[in-house]
Amino acid sequence: MRISPYLALVAAGALSIPLLTHDNYVIQLLNIAILNAIVVLGLNYTTGWTGQINFGQAAFYGLGAYSTALATKFGLPWIAASFSAILVVALASLVLGLPTLRLRTHYLAMTTIGFAEIVRLIIVHWEPVTGGTSGLRDIPGIDLLGWHPQGQIQHYYIMIAVLALAVVVAARIRHSTVGRAMIATKDSEIAAEQSGVDTLRMKLLAFMIGAIYAGIAGCLYASSIRFISPDSFSGTQAVFLMTMLIVGGMGSIPGCVAGALALTILPEALRFLGQWYLVLYGLGVIGIIALLPGGLASVISVRKLRWGHPQ
Amino acid sequence: MSPAAILQARGVTRRFGGLVALDHIDLDIPRGIVQSVIGPNGSGKTTLINALSGASPADAGSIQLDSREISGLKPHRIAQLGLARTFQNIRLFANLNVLENVKVAAGCRSAESLFGIVTGNRNHRRTETAIDEAAREALHTVGLIHRADDAADQLPYAQQRLLEIARAIATKPRILLLDEPAAGMNMTESLALLETISRLKSTGITVLLVEHNVRFVMDISDRVAVLDFGKKIADGSPAEVQSNALVIEAYLGRRRRHA
Repeated sequence: MRISPYLALVAAGALSIPLLTHDNYVIQLLNIAILNAIVVLGLNYTTGWTGQINFGQAAFYGLGAYSTALATKFGLPWIAASFSAILVVALASLVLGLPTLRLRTHYLAMTTIGFAEIVRLIIVHWEPVTGGTSGLRDIPGIDLLGWHPQGQIQHYYIMIAVLALAVVVAARIRHSTVGRAMIATKDSEIAAEQSGVDTLRMKLLAFMIGAIYAGIAGCLYASSIRFISPDSFSGTQAVFLMTMLIVGGMGSIPGCVAGALALTILPEALRFLGQWYLVLYGLGVIGIIALLPGGLASVISVRKLRWGHPQ
Repeated sequence: MSPAAILQARGVTRRFGGLVALDHIDLDIPRGIVQSVIGPNGSGKTTLINALSGASPADAGSIQLDSREISGLKPHRIAQLGLARTFQNIRLFANLNVLENVKVAAGCRSAESLFGIVTGNRNHRRTETAIDEAAREALHTVGLIHRADDAADQLPYAQQRLLEIARAIATKPRILLLDEPAAGMNMTESLALLETISRLKSTGITVLLVEHNVRFVMDISDRVAVLDFGKKIADGSPAEVQSNALVIEAYLGRRRRHA
């Protein structure tokens, strides 16, 4: 794979950020933004490529976080806990996806909203285990074969590494039989079928890969913030993730990352406006959707052309 | 019941509510020929293609591809078994470029593991190379190789039709179902299309050509079947069909209603 100067610049920029600021608040914000980017990259498989509307992504994020928290609190080693959390999320997406992906568009959206609500209700009401609305605290941190990352900056580098992996995997899948078949499924299900694509399998695969992305992000969230509560994985969060995907640009990998970073950082950057920030934030989102139907990704791709690297 | 038939339909019936769109259609298509199906608008031509390809399955009847029953199978299985089709109302993949549109079809039988894709192992690279070559060859056959990197939905109309054909032949079909491929084409484009169809036939692909325009199919067809109101009213050589009284009536009757 050839590395474009554009990509190298972005990577160098990302790696040098902790040299420019030691403000824990900024790094913490970036860490959350990166986790959101991973979750949105996952959502992109289902919604951006395969064309299925999925409001369950925040619930998978939460499922990954709570599974990790409970498993590590129970005493499982971190590696084992994170693997079991990912397994839980993968199984949940399989069980949810198998019967519902036969449904079309808005029925699937409704089913995933229902699923998210069930997950939320379980978290809120199963208090002895999940801590209810007050959440879980003192979650054991990351333990990579005896290395315990300390402070925001070390965690930042772990997040960046996982995001890079998530991007590479997405790019590889995009330019393979699977990625093309997913996009074909979105563009014309019947033409995809008649070209030999098992569209049901593609929908299920996209849904499961997407859920696993959310599960990994949830695992990192629980082990790095070390406190979780149902608010972080609510239905509002699901809509928020969908907005990131749309603002970033459906189907575009750089767009997913840009959308997640922009919409996570913007509310904090606008905080000085007090109550007015939501107004400006809303106008900004509407502006981008109205003026850039391809999302932030359309700006990125123009830039790429200028650098002489189409596609 | 000729053993040489590559596609054999028996009693294929499709109902939409009270309307019988296909009424016990029997069809035997010998290997390696161009078989046309003609008929006035609404006679059931596209319904027949949808039934044969599994897009909108028949309610009753049997369909055999190379002596293997394919009715009731999912459309992607039927495509993998060697029956490909194009669409009268063009259905390209708008978010993929021209080459990728064809690659979707060219990869229809390659079973790749996600692990191979993600690690980019040798098996994956070999598969991608084979798919790329097959897709380029298909684009070459229809004369679209120079548009390989363009967006599919930016092609002129006639080229979009050719891309549909390239996508269909990239599945390496035994039989190719073309649903009014010349619709919307001018004279020059239609003649070029006829040449392409002859070339496909010479490579051993059996072609089922559905057309509204009778004159268009007469020269290229080895056999012609005629549908009218969901019934097959004639089937034979182009000359036989042209002199068939029922066929003349179906077409003239249709014209009188238009006037």
